[in-house]
Amino acid sequence: MLTNLLFFIREKRWFFVAVIVAILMYFLPHPKDLSTEGYHAIIIIVITIILIIKEPLPLPAIAILMIFLQVLFGIASANEVASAFMNDAVFFIMGSLMLAVAIVSQGLDKRLALGIIKITGNQTWKIVAGFTAISALLSSFIGGHTVTAMMMPVSLTLIRYASKNQKKIINLTAALLFSVAYGATIGSIGTPSGGGRNAIVLNYLTKFSQIEISYLKWMAYAYPMLLLEIPFTIAIILFTFRPEKTNLDSAVRRLSIDVKHSGSMKPKEYLAIILFILVFLGWVFFSSTIGLGMVALMGVFAYLAFDLVEWNDLNKSTNWGVVLLFGAAISIGIQVKNTGAALWLANHFVEFLSIYITDLTVLRATIAIFLTSLFSNLLSSSATVAVVAPVVLNLGGDLVALSFATAISSAFGYFTAVAAPACAIIYSSGLVKSKDFLRAGWKMGIMSIILLVLMMIFWWPLLG
Amino acid sequence: MKFLIAVGSKEYSKNTLHLGVQIAKAFDAHISIVYVGPKERKLFEGEVDLVRDNLEKWDIFHPGIDVLKWAHGELLKLGYFENAKKNDFNPRHILEENGRFRMVLPSSNGDAELILREGEIVQELRKELSNTPRDLVIIGGSQGKRRMAHDIIQFLPTSVFVVKNMNLKRHYKLLVLTDDSEGTKKALLFAALIAENQKYPIRTLTVSKTKRFGSGYMGAAEYAKAYLKKKNLTVEQFFLSGDPVTHFVQFASDNHIIVMGASTANPFKKFFMGSKPISTLKKSRSPILVVR
Repeated sequence: MLTNLLFFIREKRWFFVAVIVAILMYFLPHPKDLSTEGYHAIIIIVITIILIIKEPLPLPAIAILMIFLQVLFGIASANEVASAFMNDAVFFIMGSLMLAVAIVSQGLDKRLALGIIKITGNQTWKIVAGFTAISALLSSFIGGHTVTAMMMPVSLTLIRYASKNQKKIINLTAALLFSVAYGATIGSIGTPSGGGRNAIVLNYLTKFSQIEISYLKWMAYAYPMLLLEIPFTIAIILFTFRPEKTNLDSAVRRLSIDVKHSGSMKPKEYLAIILFILVFLGWVFFSSTIGLGMVALMGVFAYLAFDLVEWNDLNKSTNWGVVLLFGAAISIGIQVKNTGAALWLANHFVEFLSIYITDLTVLRATIAIFLTSLFSNLLSSSATVAVVAPVVLNLGGDLVALSFATAISSAFGYFTAVAAPACAIIYSSGLVKSKDFLRAGWKMGIMSIILLVLMMIFWWPLLG
Repeated sequence: MKFLIAVGSKEYSKNTLHLGVQIAKAFDAHISIVYVGPKERKLFEGEVDLVRDNLEKWDIFHPGIDVLKWAHGELLKLGYFENAKKNDFNPRHILEENGRFRMVLPSSNGDAELILREGEIVQELRKELSNTPRDLVIIGGSQGKRRMAHDIIQFLPTSVFVVKNMNLKRHYKLLVLTDDSEGTKKALLFAALIAENQKYPIRTLTVSKTKRFGSGYMGAAEYAKAYLKKKNLTVEQFFLSGDPVTHFVQFASDNHIIVMGASTANPFKKFFMGSKPISTLKKSRSPILVVR
């Protein structure tokens, strides 16, 4: 009995740490220039960060804690929290998670494999380049984890056929897997539908600053950066993980034989592709009026209505805990803004950093990029944006540029295996080590930050 | 009896598996082999599961399945299954149930199980033992992970054999640590069975903190001698004065398998101050069996 209690305490120690931190902060005198509600919102963020990083509780429990603490701490009424909880960004996250299941279950990955091989041929560097480019371009529309789910079997099959002894092709393995993960990660900045964080930023911009950004305008801002990142990413991957084989002739041949067995395209597969194209067109032309989330849900409805996916499969494979968590993160993000905590944090960041950086524009961009990048690698991109974006939107200056900087830099989760879904997925294969992420990640981070700064200086001002 | 053999990876778990199977045969015990792999971050569990489901369509399975396949191959090599064809390894026969993946293989010693779990090792082993209680857990010694040694001894609710620095070619002796605690009798029971079946010579060691050996210590040593004699086992007995853990470790060196009873101290005391089995495991260079 006592041993079980001790084990429980050991397992939940970070939860107890979070509770102690919350109690200490609650009873400590809060800064005079910050409202009590704002201070309480910051307490919730602090304990959420501890709980998300250390994971002593299931995700839905963390989300529920965030929700009821807002009410218990007197930050907002139950109805206010509820209305902030469910908005179009949450619909989008929910819809895109379900769309991922629907798309992946169609078996289109085999067609994709054939298509890529036809383009790239047998040379290793061309395959790595092809995987990176295709992953980046596709993930800009359908999200990184969907693309990774479709590309992983192709990569792993090539790895399996490349050598019987995986230890002899460690670099080749890493190159193929990172080309998918980093390709999907850089691609997710390209359009609003590329990731949940983009939808959150759009939602905040409209809600807090009454600024509307259309799907195509987002692409005009972000797509050039994505296109520039592709060749650099290929070079970094090939330079970091120098593949042991320059040619994957026999592996490609065996992969082709495997996928050709699936026969010609079936009507359902055509329908699945047509539906996705319609969803994409819906995002381009109607997301400004009806919202990204609504279009995603309409897509899910169509896949279900045409029997392309079973509800049981959607229900089983959708991480509802994540939906709850992002709903809760967005609701606390909104309260951080409403209570003045975001402004207070923004002012203090500016005050602190102005000792080192005197130019206000550079300072704002530095806060947006570095704060977001840091937290993205600790928490995850979307959760980071939900709490960091309200602060960034209070920094002043060009809000559109700062919002894009936040959304884009939140995709710089290259350094750890747990920063982005695509990285977590390739890590789960057991074929890459956590140190591999650092080996390539720091180069990716520097390259991405330089490109982002160049975009902010030279490209975005031209867009008006 | 039911034994649970926890394997880590192909590279480091061969000795654990081989010894585990030998001991299980000696005890005529059913064996379950469990591999506890790393768990994905909860935030991305859904995405990782989606990918894994998709990978199965390409005959690419969970990386942990590879470890189970290796374990299955080792069992075949050890002759654990009489009918190799009947016990072919097919990943599609692995069922997901109660938060674990499980494959059952019939053998002459009763069904053998191959189990895959994901998460923190002590937590998952506790879950496994709560699902199906086992008499003994056999686990590899993890070098450098001192806290894990502590947790394994304190929190696993059964006897634990930590196969540390085991060399199957070396001639080991069993070293039973005797004192006046209840655990000594249970330790002797296990040691006698192992010694009988594995033909290991057996020694007992009694360490008193003072020069004087009280009646409890002497009584335990006498009991051990009589018990082992009854089992037709010859025993060498040793008595030393000083710090028990230091003597246990020095005496055992790397050519004994230490057998000792679990501590009966208060769990809070064990948690914060440790215990003799925990300290011995942390410091010793020998395999150690802690009997509960």
